Amino acid sequence: MIAGLGIWASTSTESGSDQVKELTIYSGRSEEFIAPFFTQWEEESGIKLNIRYGDSAELAAQILEEGKNSPADLFLSQDAGALGAVSTAGLFATLPDSVGAKIGNQYVARDRSWIGVTGRARVFAYRPGAVENLPLSVTDLTKFEYKNRVGIAPSNSSFQAFVTALISEKGEKVAQSWLEGMKKNGAKIYLKNSEIVEAIDKGEIDLGLVNHYYVWEVSQALGREIKAENGFFAPGDIGNLINVSGAGILATSEKFEAASELVDFFTSESTQNKFVEETHEYSLISGVESPAGLPALTKIGSPKVDLVVLENIQGTQDLLTQVGLL
Amino acid sequence: MNNQNRLGKYGLRALVAGVLIVISQPLIYLIIRANEKSGSEIFALLTRQKTFEVLGITLGLLCAVVFINVFLGTAIAAGLHYVHIPYPRLLFVLTIVPLAIPSYVFTYTWIALVPSLEGLWAAVFILVLTTMPYMLLAVSISFARIDSGLIEVARSLGLSKFKVFTRVILPQVRRSISAGALLSGLYVLSDFGAVSLLNVETLTVSIQNLYKSSYDRSAASVIGILLFLAAAVFVSFESLLKGRDFESKGAEGFQQPIRRIGNAPLSALTTLVIGLYALVAVVLPFYVLISRYLQNPQAVEISDLATAALSTISVAAMGALIAFILSLPLAFLLTQGKSTFASISEKVTLMAHALPGVVVGLALVSFGSRLGPLYQSVFLLAFAYAVLFLAKSVASTSAALTLVSPQLKEVAATLGKSKSSVTMQVVFPIALPNLALGVLLVFLTAMKELPATLMLRPTGMETLATEIWSFAAISRFNEAAPYALLLVLIAAIPTFMLTIPRSAKSESEKKVRSL
Repeated sequence: MIAGLGIWASTSTESGSDQVKELTIYSGRSEEFIAPFFTQWEEESGIKLNIRYGDSAELAAQILEEGKNSPADLFLSQDAGALGAVSTAGLFATLPDSVGAKIGNQYVARDRSWIGVTGRARVFAYRPGAVENLPLSVTDLTKFEYKNRVGIAPSNSSFQAFVTALISEKGEKVAQSWLEGMKKNGAKIYLKNSEIVEAIDKGEIDLGLVNHYYVWEVSQALGREIKAENGFFAPGDIGNLINVSGAGILATSEKFEAASELVDFFTSESTQNKFVEETHEYSLISGVESPAGLPALTKIGSPKVDLVVLENIQGTQDLLTQVGLL
Repeated sequence: MNNQNRLGKYGLRALVAGVLIVISQPLIYLIIRANEKSGSEIFALLTRQKTFEVLGITLGLLCAVVFINVFLGTAIAAGLHYVHIPYPRLLFVLTIVPLAIPSYVFTYTWIALVPSLEGLWAAVFILVLTTMPYMLLAVSISFARIDSGLIEVARSLGLSKFKVFTRVILPQVRRSISAGALLSGLYVLSDFGAVSLLNVETLTVSIQNLYKSSYDRSAASVIGILLFLAAAVFVSFESLLKGRDFESKGAEGFQQPIRRIGNAPLSALTTLVIGLYALVAVVLPFYVLISRYLQNPQAVEISDLATAALSTISVAAMGALIAFILSLPLAFLLTQGKSTFASISEKVTLMAHALPGVVVGLALVSFGSRLGPLYQSVFLLAFAYAVLFLAKSVASTSAALTLVSPQLKEVAATLGKSKSSVTMQVVFPIALPNLALGVLLVFLTAMKELPATLMLRPTGMETLATEIWSFAAISRFNEAAPYALLLVLIAAIPTFMLTIPRSAKSESEKKVRSL
């Protein structure tokens, strides 16, 4: 029993000048996918990682609650929104240009408080053969022909990030009428993207708004081909938003150097290649191929959205609440 | 009353007040956070249509689950005790085993069986499965303690069996039914696992949604206070209903083996109902977990399983012990007869019991992160369990202490023992087995806890519950299955111990002879 509890004592603090022995990571990326990368870095750097896995939004809320007392050195998040919340609270350190230098500016916070690591495209997943006319725009989904056939996950951060972009690009009125239209059109509510894809596979719904890798992920989990495919809206449509997973270093961390080396590791070409292979996400640096069976990131026809706007999910939340989807 | 007793009385009350302040941390947190919003914002949030809908769903779910538990639970417990059925002991154990299964595991297994399962009625079904054992345990213990002399007298006076049940037996178990209803109702209010997986938005789900998708901790706190108020209304309502205390005190009662009713159709019906319940609440969930595990047995690392099991057991045990220690002052106060202070204190612990793990978790993150090395230590997590489940501990500790006959204490006192030595030498040894059962109950509840565990566990520590969560979060149910199976099997051991019949009376008699 004592051995099992040995973990208590493991969070020691060292001062910045000494050789760093440990880093504390809050990881919104799931252990299953990211742990091998952490292990590789531990071996290469000789620095031990204490990793707290959780939901990105819940970890961000935890960091906000901890404030200046947060034991975390680095926060790795599934989406830009959670990073934005921590950034807005002023809890991230500014990253110099030399850290994550290969990542394009459109995937980095304007104040360089966080940096994108992988790309996640919003798509519509659909049941092949079940949908006569594939939608050209996300706004088509409020039409009668899609009544009671579409699944969304309003409490999920990926959907909220999309709505945030919609508000920012088209204005709150358009966003509100779209959400109300979706509700009126009998959109089915799910908690998670994967549940939407599973529901499509089971034939409960015909389409759903998800991230591009869930079709692959659910198929992997079930160990078989599933009756769901990814579809993209017309080029430039807001429904093709590209969100990122990313990382920020806590301003209160005394181990900035070591933490920024970890960020560089995540944004290196070899790690990016492995991300694409093993998580089916998009790499954010040039020269790395797109996930199997998917168009290149530059060919998706993603809307030009400054990811900084995704920080403002409070307004999105209020709107979703007002419409009655939360 | 002499000075020493007076000092003891106020000392005890001061201790109770101290414990209440400690466990009120989550409520204090909610008030501080809610206060960050202006009055008009709070008003707007509380009066929007959505809030009414969620409140309606929560109350509907609460009423339905409690109603079914009261009627079906009492019927099943009565059947187990008074009707001639095959293997009554085995069937009793089977009806209590679901206590070992967390609501989210019930939900996962039932969704595996019925993929379209969702909505309010599905939530009623799953939550009845989850909470029924609380009702059955409370009522069965009461049935076992009923003065069988009274039943014989009633029968000899020519009352029909049905009338004996409604007029003699039911009034004596009314308090236990009420206590079971209270525990299951408070569970429904605080549950997150089942309702969120079944797409039913209760107040607890709303709180989780508000804080995690908008980082709006103030709005989440306003809804948290609403939940607390709903619990307050429910707790007061329950104390109105439970009425006067008809229960005969154990040590005075006259007990002999009861004669079971041998009516064939009734036996068959009772066996069928209990069998069906055991099928849906035990056999089928186990079948799903085992078959899921067998589909992919090599996927799990035995060492990961063992580490998670060890962490789960040690931190849950620590939590149960802290809860037990914190429950002692109030439990003692409750055994010393009725007082306004004692009953208000008891109600406060009950209302706090309705607060979901996410609220307690966030509150302790907020306070705990200022505590340096204590933060994200197993101690803080164990403390969170104690705060979450103190009401259970208080209920079982005071019940165990009450069972020690007052005459025995008087005998010991007349033999020249001081009050404290009566407590240490007489009351505790006799109450010990039942006190241990109370600790076991909290232990097994803490093992299943998830939201607060996710927030407060030491970084890097995985429990069985967090492992189930992390696999299920990425839809890998087959890999979650062995963790769920192990959790249920470990929790089944204390659950089984709860079903072992015990008599405080015979212990009391032995003790009297030894004095």
